[in-house]
This record gives sequence, C-alpha cells and structure tokens, in this order.
Amino acid sequence: MPPPPSAPVNQDAPEFWRSLDDRVLTPEFQARLAKEFPFVATLPPSEVDRRNFVKLMGASIALAGLSGCVRRSLDKIVPYVVAPELAIPGRPEFYATAMPAEGYARGIVVESHLGRPTKIEGNTDHPESLGATDAITQAAILSLYDPDRSREPRRQGQPAGWSAFDSEWAEHQATLLASQGEGLALLTEPTSSPSVRLELESILRKFPKARWYQHTPLAAYEMDGLQPDYDFDAADVVFTIGSDCLYRHPAAVRYGRAFAGRRRVVDGRIRMNRFYALEATPTVTGTLADFRLPGSPARMRVVLDALAQTLTQGAPSASGLSPAEDRFVTALAADLRLHAPAVVCVAGPEEDADLQRWAFALNAHLGAGEKAVRFLAPVRSDSDPASAGNLAALTAVMHRREVSQLFVLGSNPVYTAPADLDFVSALSQVPFTVHLGGHADETALRCTWHLPESHWLETWSDLRGYEGTPTILQPLIEPLFNTRSSLEILRELSTGPGTKAYEIVRETWQDGQDAEAFDLRWHRWLNVGVVDGPTAPMVAPSVDRTFPVLARPASDALTVLLLQPDPTVSDGRWANNSWLQELPKPLTTLTWDNAALLSPAYATQLGITNGDVLALSVGADSLDVAAWIVPGHAVGCVTLSLGYGRTAAGSVGTGYGFNAYQLRSTDALWQRPGLNIRTTGRRYALAATQQQFGMAGRDLVRVVAPDALSVPPPAASPTLYPLWKNGGYAWGMSIDLSTCLGCSACITACQAENNIPVVGKEQVARGRQMHWIRVDTYFSGDPANPRVVHEPVPCMQCENAPCELVCPVGATVHSSEGLNDMVYNRCVGTRYCSNNCPYKVRRFNFFDYRSPSGALSHLQENPDVTVRERGVMEKCTYCVQRINAARISAQKENRPIRDGEIKTACQQACPAEAIVFGNLADPHSRVSHRKREPTNYILLEELNTRPRTTYLAKVRHPAGGRA
Amino acid sequence: MKAPEKSPLGEPHPSLIAPGQTLDSVTRTVSDIPLRHPHPRFWWTAFLAAFALVLLLLVSIAWLFTRGIGVWGVTVPIAWGFAIVNFVWWIGIGHAGTFISAILLLLHQAWRTSINRFTEAMTLFAVACAGLYPLLHLGRPQFFYWLVPYPDTMGLWPQFRSPLEWDVFAVSTYAMVSLLFWYVGLLPDLATMRDRAATRWKARVYGLLSLGWRGDARHWRHYQKLYILLAGLAAPLVVSVHTIVGLDFAIAILPGWHSTIFPPFFVAGAIFSGFSMVLTLIIPLRAVYKLQGLITDRHLDLMAKVMMTTGWLVIYGYFCEFFTAWRSGNVFEQFTAANRVIGPYAGYFWALMVCNVLAPQFLWSSRLRHNIVVLFVVAFMVNVGMWIERFVIVITSLHRDFLPSSWGMYHATFWDYSTLAGTVGLFVALLFLFLRFLPAISMTEMRRFVAKKEGGQ
Repeated sequence: MPPPPSAPVNQDAPEFWRSLDDRVLTPEFQARLAKEFPFVATLPPSEVDRRNFVKLMGASIALAGLSGCVRRSLDKIVPYVVAPELAIPGRPEFYATAMPAEGYARGIVVESHLGRPTKIEGNTDHPESLGATDAITQAAILSLYDPDRSREPRRQGQPAGWSAFDSEWAEHQATLLASQGEGLALLTEPTSSPSVRLELESILRKFPKARWYQHTPLAAYEMDGLQPDYDFDAADVVFTIGSDCLYRHPAAVRYGRAFAGRRRVVDGRIRMNRFYALEATPTVTGTLADFRLPGSPARMRVVLDALAQTLTQGAPSASGLSPAEDRFVTALAADLRLHAPAVVCVAGPEEDADLQRWAFALNAHLGAGEKAVRFLAPVRSDSDPASAGNLAALTAVMHRREVSQLFVLGSNPVYTAPADLDFVSALSQVPFTVHLGGHADETALRCTWHLPESHWLETWSDLRGYEGTPTILQPLIEPLFNTRSSLEILRELSTGPGTKAYEIVRETWQDGQDAEAFDLRWHRWLNVGVVDGPTAPMVAPSVDRTFPVLARPASDALTVLLLQPDPTVSDGRWANNSWLQELPKPLTTLTWDNAALLSPAYATQLGITNGDVLALSVGADSLDVAAWIVPGHAVGCVTLSLGYGRTAAGSVGTGYGFNAYQLRSTDALWQRPGLNIRTTGRRYALAATQQQFGMAGRDLVRVVAPDALSVPPPAASPTLYPLWKNGGYAWGMSIDLSTCLGCSACITACQAENNIPVVGKEQVARGRQMHWIRVDTYFSGDPANPRVVHEPVPCMQCENAPCELVCPVGATVHSSEGLNDMVYNRCVGTRYCSNNCPYKVRRFNFFDYRSPSGALSHLQENPDVTVRERGVMEKCTYCVQRINAARISAQKENRPIRDGEIKTACQQACPAEAIVFGNLADPHSRVSHRKREPTNYILLEELNTRPRTTYLAKVRHPAGGRA
Repeated sequence: MKAPEKSPLGEPHPSLIAPGQTLDSVTRTVSDIPLRHPHPRFWWTAFLAAFALVLLLLVSIAWLFTRGIGVWGVTVPIAWGFAIVNFVWWIGIGHAGTFISAILLLLHQAWRTSINRFTEAMTLFAVACAGLYPLLHLGRPQFFYWLVPYPDTMGLWPQFRSPLEWDVFAVSTYAMVSLLFWYVGLLPDLATMRDRAATRWKARVYGLLSLGWRGDARHWRHYQKLYILLAGLAAPLVVSVHTIVGLDFAIAILPGWHSTIFPPFFVAGAIFSGFSMVLTLIIPLRAVYKLQGLITDRHLDLMAKVMMTTGWLVIYGYFCEFFTAWRSGNVFEQFTAANRVIGPYAGYFWALMVCNVLAPQFLWSSRLRHNIVVLFVVAFMVNVGMWIERFVIVITSLHRDFLPSSWGMYHATFWDYSTLAGTVGLFVALLFLFLRFLPAISMTEMRRFVAKKEGGQ
C-alpha cells in the first residue's frame, strides 16, 4: 500500500491508526474498510473499548505464551525439486559392499536412511558372510561416526590444507623422479585389494628404487605360500591347536555356519562331528570342543609329538604324558584314524611355524586334502614378491638413514611396533614422514604430515574375501570430512592429485573391456556385492606328510607370556569404538580393559585374585597389568591381549587397559618364555558384566549327548488365569544352545538396531550395562579344565509376565501377538519390573545415557526406534519395529507375513543360525519346527512364566574321551 | 494390661501418674514447654543439628534430580536400594502412633494417655519422611502423579494389579487420617494454649488453630464422638498400611519376597519398630523436660512389654521364612535363605539377629527393664535392627535370584547415606518444632485423668 505523503493530514486523526491511509482517513480507505470489514468500519477508529481491550490483551498474552512454546528452527527446509530416485523418507535403502577385515573382504549390506548409513548386515550372496556377521562388523558402523575421526590434513600437528600437502609432495616427487625414488619408503598393511596392488606396482615402476614394506601386528593366515581353507561341514573330526578359527578369523563367519551345521538337531537327528581342542588360553572356539585339553606351549608340543607317534607308530614311544593328556591323545588318535579323511586340523595363526607345519602334515597324513582341507594361493599380499619386507626390515633401513621420505598408509607402527624395534627413534631420523589414517593416532602425532583417510563407507575400493572372491566396495555416503582415500593418495604418489577412487577402481576392473558390457557387469557386481569371476586358485599342496620335529623349549619350568589379539578391539584398531569396548569379552566378560589371564591353580599359587596388579617382566621389558583368573587356562603361562593402553586412540579408547606391545619382541611376537611375575599389592578396577560363572546347581543350560537327544518336554503347568487371546500372529523365538558359538555378534547387532547406549566402564562396574541381549557363560566341572556353555538371554516375552503385573502405570503391557511391549513414554521408573523379572533382561537408564545433543553418533541411530531418556526402563521386544515394517508391507500386498520375512537383529547377525524367530501360530514356520525338536526346553520352566523364547539343549559328547 | 475400665479413656492406674499432680500442675507442666521454652540451649543445639541434616537432604535431592537415580547405588539386579529400605523403615516407625492412639484407645488402655500425642506426632513425621522416598526413587519423579487415578485425556489409568498402586492409596490414606486424628485431638489443648498465651500474637495464632474452641458442652460431645470415630477409622489402617507394604514384596515372584507371611510379619515388625522409636525418643526427652511425673516408669515398662510381644511375633516371622524355605523344596528359596545366613551379606543378617532377636530378650528381667539405660540401648538397637531387617529383605533377596549370571552386589553411595541421614534430620527437626510450639502431652486427657483419680479418692 503506497503511503500518500501528499494527502493532508486529518486534524482529528486517530492517535492509534491501522495504516497510513487510516491516519489520513482517505475516502478510499474507508470504502475499502467498509467493504472488507463492515463491522470494524462502524467502530470509532480511535477508540478501543474496555471489553475489547481486555479481549485483545488476553489474546495477546495467550498468543505470546504460545509463541514461546515453539522453538523455531533456523535451518531453511527446501524440498527436493526433483526427488532422487528411490529416496523415500522413512524407507531405508540397502547397498551391498564389503568391510575390510584384516585386509580381507567381508561382504555386507548396509542399511541407509535418507543417505546416512545406520546398520550393517551380512550379505547373503557373499561367501564370507552368507548373510551373517561377527560382532566387529556390526560395530563398524559406529566408527564411521566416530567424533575423533581426523577431519583435516595436519602438518606438524597444525591444520594445513590439502593444497599445501599437494604442493609439498610435488617438490619431493620431482626430486624423487630424478633419483628414481631413492629413499622413498611405503609402509602399508597387507591387503587383498587388486587396485591397491596395481597402484603400488605403478609407484614402484615409476620409482624403481622405492621400497614397499608391509606391517600388521596380527598374524598372517598363510604358511609357506599356502593359505589353508577348511570345510567344517565335511569334517567328522575337528582338531584345533591354539586356534580361535570360529571367532577370530577372516573366514570365521563361514566356518561358524558350517560348524554349526554339524551341531544342529533337525527333526530329532544330528550329524554330529567330534571336536578336540588343544590350547593354552581358552578361546571361544576351544570352549565349544567336546574334548578340550589346556596345555602350555611346552605341553602342547609334548602332546602333539605323542599324537604323531601314536598315529605313525601305533603308540607314543616315550610317554611322559599326564593321565588327562594320555586320554586325550588316545581318544583323538582313534577318532582321527576312524574318520580319516573327513578330518580337519587347524593350528592358530599365532602358533609357531613348526606347529602350523605339523597341522599341515597331520591333514596330509590323514588325507584330509581330499575332503575337508584345501590350499589356496595367498589372497593377501603378505608374501608379495614386490614387497621389501616387514616393519623390522623398514626400521633397519630407517636406522641406517637410508629413508628420506616415508609414507605410512593405514598403519599405526608407533603403537604396534614391538618394544625392541625402537621404531620411534627410527622415525625421527626420517626427514619427511607422511601418515594416512582415520585418526590422529600415535603415529600421526610423530609424522611431518598427517592425512585424514576416508572411511571405507565413504569411498570406492575393492577387496577379496578369504577364499578369493572379489567385491567392489562402494561408498554409502560422501566423506563426512575433508578426507581422501588411500587409493587416491597412492595415485597421487605415482602421478598427481585429482584422480578419484571411483575412477581408479573402475580402471582396475575394466582392464580393457568394452565399456558398455563393462558397465552392465559393474552394476551387477555392485548390486550383488560380489564380482563374478576369479576366486583364489587352488594350489596343489606339496605338503610333507611326515610330521616335523617340534622344537622343545629349553626348560619346561619357564613361565610363558602369551600374546593374542584382543577379542573385541583386535590389535587396537577398534579401541575408539565404544560398542566394542563395552562388549563383554567372551569367557571373561571384561569390558573396557584387557587383563593378564591366568589359570585358577596358578593364581592360587601366586596368591592373587581378580584385579590384583601384577608386575610382569620378560627380558628387558616390563609392564604392570591387572590379573583376571580364567578357568581352563593352561598352567605355566599368562595371556595378555593386544590393543589396549593406547595413548592417542581418541576420546573413547585412550587410557584403558595395558599396552601389551611393550612386552613384545620382534623374534617372539606371540610367545615369550621367561616371564617374571611379581605382585605389587595394588588393585585395579576391572569391569566385568558377569560375576558368577557357576550354575549353582540349577538346571539352566541343559546338555545332552548326541545319542540321547531329548530333554523332558515342557509340562503344561496349570494356571488360574485365562490365557491371552491370540491376535493372529504369535511371535516366538528359539535359541539353539548347541550351535551357539558364544561370539556376541547378537549383542552388537541388537545395540546397533535398537539405539542401545554405551554407559562407560564405571557404570558397567556397577552393573548398569544396557545390552538387551546378553550371552551368559557358565563353567562346570574342574576349574582347571571346565566344560563351558554359552547361553544368549534376550527378553523371554513371557505369557504370564511377572513384569506386567507389578508396573503401577501399565508401562509394560502384553500385545495381542504375545510381545511384552515396553511403553517408554509411560514409564515412571519404579524398576519393580526389573526386580520381578526372573531372567533379569530389563535395563534401566540410571543416568541420561544418550549422546549429547548434536553428537555425530546420532546419525547412526535407527529412526524406527525410540531413543530412551533418563529414568526409563527398556528391554528387548523382538525388534518390534521390524515386525511392524513387515506387517505394513504384507498388508499393502494383502497377504499374511511370510515365515522368515521378519528377522530380528540378533537372528540376522548370528553366524551359526542359532536364533530363529517366527510365528508360533503357524505350525509350518521354522520356529514351530524348532520347538518340536526333542531338545526343546524352557528356561526356569518351574516359574510358569510361559516364555515365548525357548531353548534347544546343547548337544555335546560326554566328557572323558570317547563316548 | 488389663482393661476393667468403663470410660473410653480408661481409669487411671495408680502408677501412671506421679502422686501430687493436680489439674493445674498438669496443665502448667505441659503448656510451659511451648510457652516458656525451657532449656533453650538443649533445644537449639538439637534443632540446629537436625536442621543441618535437612539442608543435606535438600542438597541430596537437588543432586538426585539433576543427575538422575544413578547417583544412588541401585543397579540391575538390585534395582531397589536404600530408598525402599528407608521407606519401609520409616513407615514402620510411623505405626506406633496410631497404634497407641487408636487401637489402645479402643481397647481402653489408660496408659496411652500421656504418650499418645507425642507418638502421633512422631507418626506424622515418620510418614512424611517415608512418603518422600517412593517419589525420590522414581526414575522420572516428575511423573509421580501418573500413579494417581485421575481422569486423563487419553483415558489412561494406573495399573491396579500392582501393589505399588495399592501403596499410593494405603500410605496417603494413612497419612491423612493420622493428621486428622492428631489435629482433632489437639483442639482443646490449642484452646488452652490460647488462653494461657502470654502475648497477643501467640494467642491469636493458637486461637486460629483451635478453630474457635470454647469448651462448650456441645463441643466436648462432638469432640468425643469424632475422636472415637476417627480412632475406629484409624485402627484398621494400622494393619492395612504395613500389610500393603508387605504385599509390595510378597506379590513378587522373587525368592525371599514371595511369601504369605509377609503382611502379618510386616505389621508386627512395624509396631515393634514404632515402640522402640517411641522409647528411644521419650527416654531422653522425659529426662530433659522433667516429665517423669506424667510419663512414669510404668509407661516405659508397658511399652517395653509391647516391644517384647511384637518382637516375638517378628521372631516367629523369621522362623517361618526359614521353615518355609526348607519345607518348600524350592531350590531358589532354599538358596536365598542360605545366602542370607552365609552369603556376602551374612554380616547384616547376624547384626539383625543380635539387634532384633537377642537384645530384646534382656527385657525379660524386670530389673533390666526398669533400668532406663538398658531400655534405651535395647530400643535403639531394635531401631537399627529393623533398618537392617529391611536391608536384608530388599538387598539380599535381589542380589542373587534365579540366574547366577545376573547376580550382583549392592554398593551404596554417599548420596544413599546422605539421603538417609537427611530424613533422620527432617524427622528430628520436625519433632523439635513440635515440642517447641505444641503441647507434647495431651493436657485434656491428663486433666481428666487427674480428675478421675481425685474423684476416686
């Protein structure tokens, strides 16, 4: 409305006016006013009567208050002009890719909600996943959103842009080109990536005098140019020597699946294998064995020698075996002979080379190569002929000042180098050092340049699985920070910056093919998550059938320090992943720390209890470590896992545990004899999630022999109360204790799916961990060599639920389909439900455990699951959000929900397929089938809670040799 | 404890009041305490000490609300800790008042006369302390009102099968009736205070509180009827409150809680602890304010006897728990029973045995019973013992239940102790305010007592 400045101002103009027109009282204004608001026009314009004044004031105050209720977002929300294809808010998309696991590929499918990856599942088409994952794979998604990830290139610790690095490298590159790469050294981890290999080759072509070294603190899975691969499905007898191949192995998921197949009762029958384990430290794999023999490295050699003699000569020549060892050798030899060639012998990669050759020889001796063991050409680059050696070789040339430019790509040698190498001082002698990595870790802090590396979910790459199948790694998200991938850096080394990882990977795989045909294949590969074509070639084993002579230690009396990768944080690379830190380590249930593990007898001898600080020293190295007693640990040795005591892991992992690398030496990476132990009198607080490992004489885990496959069937206990009416579906679950490996993948899967918070070490020590499913571990029998059982315990979804009765506000209620629904909004937090839960599966938010507002980790959260606030009880509800998603899609297609359409997160992750979920109202569903097995039983049946979750008894050969 | 009297207030036993007490002396002795404030140094010391603890309570509550319930030692599996222990303890202490006032009134026990006012006040303050805990212990205390059945716009009601819901009604009804009973009983005395007040200001306040009491015959008639009616109303509450508190536990399937003996066992324990608390408080106060003439040794003797009687009921409860565990053949029950005696919390159990089972047995001897110091020590031990009893019931049952994998230990934090100390402070502070401003002994009833005695002579 243009103001009419020229119009004469009305003398009796109102003091309060509606507009300038009003003030000058133009006739046009009055006419318009009368037309639009006839009732206002009749009011005297200058007067506000009392009644209206009060009305207006009241309304203004009320509205002013109302406006205060709304917090206006400052962000501008702009809808898509052209919506991206398939991007439907609320509906996740799934992309197939692979995750690097010790340089090998593990095929995965990543769930993405509007561009943010939230959950990792296994890829059913990938041979190393078969749809399942391990715990680390489940937790890997959290590392993408690690707030401590490196965000900018840094020079001498100061932020510096990529262009600064590019120009500085260009100068070096020019010099190096002139000198043919004299003084240039690269340090990478062993990898199976074809593209990385090609890039390294082109660098070495361009700089012929440059050297490429490889370093990993973990063991190699090849020996003498042979990479063994096992078929546990075909093996009637399994014998492991210090191996955790069902838990910590690049092919552990596939092995676990195959092994479980030989332990599963189907229609009352079982194709049971016989499993022998000989090991010093109890492992997840070893505790699954029917016949487990703990033995220190020295005793293991004695036992193996005796076994070899029994197999070749019929009886051990010079015995010296204890009765238990003798029984073990006799039974094993008999079984091996009986079942050959369907036998497998696996020696752990951390065992000495002669033990591994011994295992090869045993397999060859029994003809296992025909059935259950095959040898592949190495998939990983450990013994690549182009490589100039390992970290020790690199350190030697660095000490000789022969290295002027060092690139450390994706490795952390300052932390992981053995103590005797003195890598740090060698590093300081190199004038130009560059570190590429996801975190500003210990090595980054000592290099000239630290370059932030893109996460593998942010970039393109390729990797091969343990059995050789290649997978193209595709990004799920643009890099969150200003990062580059290792392929891009490698290309920059040989040529210059600018080439994208996408182009590099495509170059590798196009390899001269016709572009159109290649595009088709490329999209199929990406879609399926597997590159069809070459797998690793089989190698005709030239394995010696004669058993190698096993070196005997100088003295049996020496205490041996055993090092091992940590069950959750591995070599320390997962130290900043809070899910893995809080994941109870199998068998000890320790969280947030490693500890010196030792046997009960040894602990009694030394007079120590859990949490006592021991001063360990071996050679010139020493370390103070808290002790933890593990039943079944061999006498005469102490085990310590790597990966802790980090000084620059980030805000999560720094400062926890004890740095075992300080006790490592180059020539004794995994076993150091001559350990001295001294008690210090100090105590260290360790946080374990389970305090009691005995069953207190209760019938909690039922164990049956394979020839007596039945337990007393659940009795229909009477009840006075009416049963719930069935609402069509009756959800139920069956957990097979016979196949459960105890690998904890279900715990992390549940954590990722259900936005379960991490509470920290102090809270875990108080017993406030939040996991909705836990894996209980029970030991029975002789503490020196106990029988171990694992029992996953989620909410049982009782029909007669004790929790529902006692909630005063009805925050936990029964659904028509048999779930115990938890209404977080309604919960006031009396915690009576937890007290009254006999299974103790309810978890309470004692504090506000949510990530702070604005934290990066919120991006990981599942939008289908409520994030619980302080003071609220929470628990498993069979992934009710997945049930509802399936219900919606079934209703849209006007059909019932199919069997197997819903998989709970724990079920989906389980490598052993131990968990089956489904509709009990359908007699043909898998879960109904399972519940009809003769080994079906109810946990704490006598309480008459009528749980929907039931168990299948563990099938195990009776202890004490041949059944 | 015979009751041959005809009047509802009973005939005086010769030793229930010291010789030489007259109508005037009774009134003077009692009303002088609030009006003249004797022994100010004692009063101020005790009150300020208690008030410091009240401040600690406020700090503890502020910290609790700021940080969350995790500042306490509660965890899974021990999801109930000090808060519930303290709640049951305080509620138990609150039982003596109404028991003495209502049940002994209906049973024509004349000896209740000189102690009923004080114990009713004690009841109120104990219930106030108790009532704090269920609110504080909620994970989301801001929503405590969801336990109250109010017409919610979403049609949500509390879940009436839960014993915690019954608690809401039981405790609030008890608190309300106790308050009414106490206040109605106070009315004639407040009028006396009004009449004796030295200053106009005091007279006005007491006058206002006495609701216009004039001593009219009709007033007395109404008063007596109402008082008896309220007594009749309060009497079943004495039983119901702790029955329901007992059911809080008995309804659960937890071994150590799931027991039919709990309701009567809890009621007996409550009266036991209530009487011991009365003795613990009255023995020193009687000495300081020279009330031996009104609260005589015979009173103490009778209270000690009630304590012994209820003590034996409680001992029967202990016996029953173990007997049932043994006879049930239930491994979980048997384990819980054994775990109490020899488990990690065995120290608490044996302390409980010393305080609640052993200590009261000294009172069999009349000589020891009449020894004020012995009586005080025993009563104090019973107070402690009853707290430990609730600790044993709550903690040892929870810490090891069905699955050994989820067994745990309870570690109380500073804030657990500070909240307990804080409510003790609140209790004592309220008690001292009561002593300072209101007649701690019913002058009306004592005068009637004296009058009867004189008339009888």
